Amino acid sequence: MDNRDAMLKRVQVYDFALYEARLFLDTHPTCKEALDYYNKHLEMAKAAKDEFEAKYGPLMAENNKGDSWEWIKDPWPWENNWEA
Amino acid sequence: MWTYEKKLEYPVKIKTANPNMAKLIISQLGGPDGEMGAATRYLSQRYSAPWAQVKGTLTDIGTEEMGHAEMICAIIHQLTRNLTPEQIKNSSFAAYYTDHTTGLYPVDANGVPFSASTLQSTGDTVTDLNEDLAAEQKARTTYENLLRLVDDPDVRDVLKFLREREVVHYQRFGELLRIAQENLDSNNFYAFNPSFDVRRPQPRKGTPYTGA
Repeated sequence: MDNRDAMLKRVQVYDFALYEARLFLDTHPTCKEALDYYNKHLEMAKAAKDEFEAKYGPLMAENNKGDSWEWIKDPWPWENNWEA
Repeated sequence: MWTYEKKLEYPVKIKTANPNMAKLIISQLGGPDGEMGAATRYLSQRYSAPWAQVKGTLTDIGTEEMGHAEMICAIIHQLTRNLTPEQIKNSSFAAYYTDHTTGLYPVDANGVPFSASTLQSTGDTVTDLNEDLAAEQKARTTYENLLRLVDDPDVRDVLKFLREREVVHYQRFGELLRIAQENLDSNNFYAFNPSFDVRRPQPRKGTPYTGA
């Protein structure tokens, strides 16, 4: 696993924790414990994404920064390492 | 409105092409219990959902299912990269290749194109949620059938993740059905359809969010 994959995996791990908590909160909107869990992981996901995007380009088009259009750069998510 | 995130929900990194496996797994894109049908089902049903929890969960699970369709497409794409004519000729993928080369087209394992006739959206939340519970179980069964046939660990890992998601969604839909029934007439759940018979369904006292 190269460094890009490892850093992306971190983003995926935090986002998954957030996503699971979101679905739980959808059916348990008054659960304080779940909301605390969500808020805690929101910060961790944000930090992991900022770190990834600074090195490998935007995960969302709106995060494209600077004077070049990095958004469309390979690899796209369905491509594995040896074709992109 | 939806915004695209340039990543999969869970990584798909398949090292070895296998057209026979692709031919089977594509059913979870375009088949009767596949991810495209799941996304279409939930994202259609939400418009007649009477309570906030139901609207929110259908939106979020429907959105996740779109991400799962993307993961299935990634599996098929990677399983059919750099095939030789000889590999295709000797595989069950040959008929699909004739019509679609290695492009992604939503069909079931028998090659029948995706059809909305495999799903329902009835405007009745109790009916829809029971449909959703059944849909998650059918999708789980299909993933288990695939797991009995697939031996590549790179592919199995992803199929196991997707199977687990069906179990979690089933749990959430069960909670929605309970919430819906608690807000209906407890003596007769079927006395009225909240999305049609009343202008604005009134939640029971002390239940936040349901009437928002």
